[in-house]
Amino acid sequence: MGIFHDKAAIVTGGSRGIGREIVLMLAANGADVAFTYHSNAEAAVALCKEVEKIGRKVLAVKVDSRDFEKAKAMIDAAKQAFGRLDILVNNAGIIRDKALMMMTKDEWLEVIDTNLNGIFNFTRNAIVGFLKQKSGSIVNITSVSGVAGMARQTNYAASKSGIIGFTKSLAKEVAAYNIRVNAVAPGFVETDMISGFKDEHRKAILAQIPLARLGSTADVAGAVKFLLSPSADFITGQTIVVDGGLFIQ
Amino acid sequence: MQDLNTEIRDIIAVIIEKKPEEITPDARFFEDLGVDSMMALEILAAIEKKYKISIPEEKLAQLTTLNQTIAVAKEYMSQTNG
Repeated sequence: MGIFHDKAAIVTGGSRGIGREIVLMLAANGADVAFTYHSNAEAAVALCKEVEKIGRKVLAVKVDSRDFEKAKAMIDAAKQAFGRLDILVNNAGIIRDKALMMMTKDEWLEVIDTNLNGIFNFTRNAIVGFLKQKSGSIVNITSVSGVAGMARQTNYAASKSGIIGFTKSLAKEVAAYNIRVNAVAPGFVETDMISGFKDEHRKAILAQIPLARLGSTADVAGAVKFLLSPSADFITGQTIVVDGGLFIQ
Repeated sequence: MQDLNTEIRDIIAVIIEKKPEEITPDARFFEDLGVDSMMALEILAAIEKKYKISIPEEKLAQLTTLNQTIAVAKEYMSQTNG
């Protein structure tokens, strides 16, 4: 029996990268997991098979995080399928990196709408159930970019800083209802998001990381696991930075 | 139905920490009785639990007085019963 035995979880942006690792971590620790995906149906189907192999229920739904009504329908579907909901991991996010002077309004809005408004859409639709049952745990995936700032990421960093403010405020608002809200801020993690970086850029990044490697998706899922687990029962409103020491305050 | 009205009034009284007689049928929850949105949600959840019904959260905005709350509860109790 895992630490999330018979709990039910939702992970947004679950088909690839960090989200996928979180889905597998939750299932491996006993949870039924519903996840959203945006475009890669093949990856979503493959992940469903892996979760079923672990012996947990799984539900994959194609949802654009920007769509409030679809987020609501997805949460209702997960509750219907699993009979409950205990955990929400807001992971879905995109990048449209560019120097501000070159950034279009659409590139700004798309990132804010997906990363920040998306968190509102899912959390708003999950929170009433959590309040009613007087339990629930939420982890929002932000970024070291939102903590320390990163050149060419004004849109992304603004969305990720917004997530940290959201996390702190909601944590205060719902603590009395036994609901915890925390965030994890990954640094550079080996995912599709940075696979397009040139070798020189990768070397330059590695030179800045004290632990001298890129993070793995498992490094991030480990921090999420801790925050969702009973070991973190007295922790809320916090952001754990998982970046190999890149940004040490 | 008197029993149902009294039961719901008593549920609300416990949640908002008022005497049952203060909750007159048309006293306004927010303006007259100091109910906040979290209390309204607790009222909804308590009624759902007591009568084993499910009330959509969109109905929260309609829980503005005792009479209104009873009306919403009755609406969903009749659905459950058939």
